[in-house]
Amino acid sequence: MGHYLTSATQLLRLREKCDLGIMALIVAVMIAMPLGNAWFPSESTLHVSGFTLGVWGKYLCYAVLAISLNLLWGYTGLLCLGQCLFFALGGYAFGMYLMLMIGELGSYGSKLPDFMVFLGYEELPIHWRPFYSPIVAIAAAMLVPGLVALIFGTLAFRSRIKGVYFAILTQALTYAAALLFFRNDFTFGGNNGFTDFRFIFGADIRTDATARWLFAASALLLLMVYWLVAWILETKLGKIQRAIRDSENRVRFSGYSTTHFKVFIFVLSAMIAGLAGALYVPQAGIINPSEMWPAKGLDIVVWVAVGGRGTKFGPVIGAIVVNLLKSWTTRAYPESWLIILGALFVVVVLFLPNGLVGWWAQMKSKWNQRASSTPQTDAATA
Amino acid sequence: MNSKRRETYLVLIYCFVMALLPASHGQSTEDSQARALLVELVLGDDDSRASTLEELANHGDPIIATFVAGWRGGQVLRDGDDTVLLKIGEQYTDLLTGVATQANPENLKVNRPSRKLRKTLKRMVDLIDLSSPDLGKRIQSAQKLGLSQNPEYLPDLKARAALQTDAKVKRAFNEAVWISELSNGTEAEKLEAIKALGSLKSFPARDFIERCVSAETEPTAELKQASQQALQKIDSHRALIDVIGTLFRGLSLGSVLLLVAYGLAITFGQMGVINMAHGEFIAVGGYTAYMVQNWFGSTYGEGSPLYGYYFLVAIPLAFLAAAVVGAALERGLIRFLYTRPLESLLATWGISMILQQSFRLYFGAANVSVSSPPWLAGSLSVGDFSMSNSRVALIVCVLFVVIGTRLLLTKTHWGLHVRATMQNRQMASCLGVPSGRVNMITFAFGSGLAGLAGAFLSQIGNVGPSMGQTYIVDSFMVVVVGGVGNLLGAAISSMGIGMVDQGLQPILGPVMGKITVLLMIILFLQVKPGGLFPARSRSLDD
Amino acid sequence: MVAPVYRDTDLVLSVESATKAFDGFKAINDLTFYLSDGELRTVIGPNGAGKSTFMDLITGRARPDVGKIIYHRSDGHDFDLTSLKEFQINRMGIARKFQTPSIYSKHTVYENLILSLNRDRGVWKALCYQESAEDREEIESVLNQIRLQDRRYELAGSLSHGQKQWLEIGMLLAQKPRILLVDEPAAGMSDEETERTGELLLSLEGKHSVIVVEHDMVFVRQIARQVTVLHQGSVLKEGTFSQIATDPTVQEVYLGRTKHEAE
Repeated sequence: MGHYLTSATQLLRLREKCDLGIMALIVAVMIAMPLGNAWFPSESTLHVSGFTLGVWGKYLCYAVLAISLNLLWGYTGLLCLGQCLFFALGGYAFGMYLMLMIGELGSYGSKLPDFMVFLGYEELPIHWRPFYSPIVAIAAAMLVPGLVALIFGTLAFRSRIKGVYFAILTQALTYAAALLFFRNDFTFGGNNGFTDFRFIFGADIRTDATARWLFAASALLLLMVYWLVAWILETKLGKIQRAIRDSENRVRFSGYSTTHFKVFIFVLSAMIAGLAGALYVPQAGIINPSEMWPAKGLDIVVWVAVGGRGTKFGPVIGAIVVNLLKSWTTRAYPESWLIILGALFVVVVLFLPNGLVGWWAQMKSKWNQRASSTPQTDAATA
Repeated sequence: MNSKRRETYLVLIYCFVMALLPASHGQSTEDSQARALLVELVLGDDDSRASTLEELANHGDPIIATFVAGWRGGQVLRDGDDTVLLKIGEQYTDLLTGVATQANPENLKVNRPSRKLRKTLKRMVDLIDLSSPDLGKRIQSAQKLGLSQNPEYLPDLKARAALQTDAKVKRAFNEAVWISELSNGTEAEKLEAIKALGSLKSFPARDFIERCVSAETEPTAELKQASQQALQKIDSHRALIDVIGTLFRGLSLGSVLLLVAYGLAITFGQMGVINMAHGEFIAVGGYTAYMVQNWFGSTYGEGSPLYGYYFLVAIPLAFLAAAVVGAALERGLIRFLYTRPLESLLATWGISMILQQSFRLYFGAANVSVSSPPWLAGSLSVGDFSMSNSRVALIVCVLFVVIGTRLLLTKTHWGLHVRATMQNRQMASCLGVPSGRVNMITFAFGSGLAGLAGAFLSQIGNVGPSMGQTYIVDSFMVVVVGGVGNLLGAAISSMGIGMVDQGLQPILGPVMGKITVLLMIILFLQVKPGGLFPARSRSLDD
Repeated sequence: MVAPVYRDTDLVLSVESATKAFDGFKAINDLTFYLSDGELRTVIGPNGAGKSTFMDLITGRARPDVGKIIYHRSDGHDFDLTSLKEFQINRMGIARKFQTPSIYSKHTVYENLILSLNRDRGVWKALCYQESAEDREEIESVLNQIRLQDRRYELAGSLSHGQKQWLEIGMLLAQKPRILLVDEPAAGMSDEETERTGELLLSLEGKHSVIVVEHDMVFVRQIARQVTVLHQGSVLKEGTFSQIATDPTVQEVYLGRTKHEAE
């Protein structure tokens, strides 16, 4: 047992080293992709199309979302099935700005968004008015999810709802929100949500140049969030967070209000998810209530599990790998891609409890052991 | 013994045949009598016609209405001196016998009633259903005539009201008379009618009473008071019926939730497995009902009386099918995850995706239709309140499931094993409980209940690949509110959630009602985080 | 009702007529208990006597239905613990060790102790926390006390059962509490480890008030000063070990049976 755990610490360090390598690679790719779009003409094999950039930009947003869930689930032991809600709320907040930027180019030629004209609105509802400002929109993309998380988290953690109960309640929360957003009179476009965006910060949203800097912004956000989470984990707060995961009562009986800590992490995680959503919407070109449907929340959990929960890099890998696989299987096997993905989750849960990152580290340490075992025995006998 | 039994059968069959015979025999005489009178009517002169009409008026035969419409429309033709033909569409029939015949149009002469007769005829047609042998028709016609408040019909209604023997019919006739009197009666009659309608708690009379009072230029104090009292009686009765209606709808929604959540209460509550594929087991049940229906349809034909009983076969099969899938899932996957409940959630989510897509591939993405057998299609009414048979059946079934499960768990050997295993899996297996088999059977049983739920849901909702998703969030809520691991809690919480949901719906609308219920549940868990019946544990971290 | 024995001395804790029922079963029944400053008290009692519930009540894990639990702070202020949450009670200076070792198994021994230090325990302070020389010194002294100096950088999960028990006691000491509640510290320990644990607890006498709940009679004999016997949720007897050991009622409800069980 003891031996196993010491090797586990070695594993941890090894994993961090691997992380650095992958990290450098990813940063290189992140820089190379927009450059490939800008420098190489479209006939060149090295050219990266605006569409590809958009798709990868979305994946990077998903990776940020997965990190936010990992902060909660992997490091604090709180499985949130409603992370999609925070993502979608952030998306809606920024989407409101994008809708207003369409201006009079909508199909009704009105200053109001099309769906409002369709529903017979005479003027912009009061809560929409501040959203002409992109700064307000970005702030709202963080603050609204943060506020929802603050209220829900305080209620849930104060009454010590945790584990499975917490998971189910967060699912109910996102379900209730989705029902609300499906309503036309909720002033957020009902079923159809927001789409047909035209301008972002004064630039045409459909050009390659916009795709380039949206991708760059997503990459930057991912790096910053990755760094932020890595930093938090090093602080005492990060240690307390993991302590809560492993033995909450001990933390509580050591004079910490675990409720405050959990609420803090929950709000932080919701705000990160909200930002990811805000960057996702201009790249996806659409946001609607299906983004907060309970199934989406489970999707995010799956990314984290596939990548490796409780590892710094796992969620990034998981989000990208699962979404790549999804986009490939939907094209290659449109009939049975759901079956393939479903089977993948089953396999991961059964055979790779620590996800791809855990599996890779395990492989690597096995290989290292084999390589170093011969000289060590020599030394022992000598 | 054997011959005796055969005798009994024979007697039974004889009785059955005899019971059918007089009815058909009687009808045909009535029919031919009416036809004879109609022929007489056409052939006779104005004097004899008056007495014939008198006689016809007491007949409720449907041929009369057909004839009158034809007569006025020029479709009654005389062929020679004593044959009368009725033209329906392009087909001629002999009025006296009702037999289709060929006729030479050149020999035919159109016969029409005189202007004087027409008025009488119209009245007769309007009144004809009042004597219809079909009691439902009779009631409908009385109601229609009463609500028209036409003074011409009042004497007839009054006269016939006295003759009615059936209590229901009599009530309808009296109601019609009184409603008519509200506009056509004397002061005293109006007052009486208002009082009578009040004590009858007649819903349709409500507006007429109000109109009757407001029509008076100076209503007497007595009239005013009587109408107020009557309206109050009617309104409070209406409120009562509304409350009963809400309760019934709540009970029925609660039953749906319970049926759906009961299986979950067993697999999640008792076994600690978070089965996200539970919804798909519901769909398995629904599709089983669909397949059984189709098999009956192709084997016996949809018109066959046996076809109606497909549902009785579908119920046990739906249970079995879902139970088999559940057992396979438990053996193949879930048994490896008993110590990792949150991961069972992920794996079963994968299974749920696989199953959903398989349904889509096999049955198509669209919803399939499962028809209700005739005995479930109608509705049952008690007083002013009616409830659909399928919902009543659902409630009864849920009752059976709850009682049955309780008996299984408390009275059988298996139940003892289940309870032991659920309390402490390791300890139970140390004590010789075959925990592997118990787990499998328990999980299969919980899944089977979901299948059962699916079969019933096919009668009141859609059957489709994602039908389970509609219920999964709600059923988890039911279990959490009830207290995980507590079947009684699940029963109470589903009824509670059903009632609150249905109580809120008329006020807030379906979507806001549902959202409010979800928020209320979240707030409820603030007060009682462990649900209605929290599971107690002395260990530190759980 | 048991008469207040320590009324005239400096008390740290008074539990007066506390009652706690679960589903009608009275786990604690009209219990009155006083603890004085610096005292080492041993609480014994048969299974189901209410020992764990008693600790739950003091530490805020459960609230009494009736009765008062008063903490007498050194500056003379009294606090009713029944209205406080666990972490607030802990910050007043009441630390608790659980029956099964409750440590952070995926943190190192050193980190376990850092997290237990008696510092500002707010969220922001945790985020900006920097380890100071003073903190390191405190941890060193605790490590010495619990004899885990050599294993400070190992994961706590890799320690032996006895070492885990010590680590938990060390985590309590790092909190510098006035009162230590220690639930079955010797459970699952070897004889040698048990004896060392006893020495550790005895060394705390005078510096902290300590309540030890224990089953093991050999261990109780080693550490016992004043002994309180719980039975059916209330105090059956209080006195020195030899008084308790010779008391016929105690023998009847407790000693006789446990001797039997031990064999």
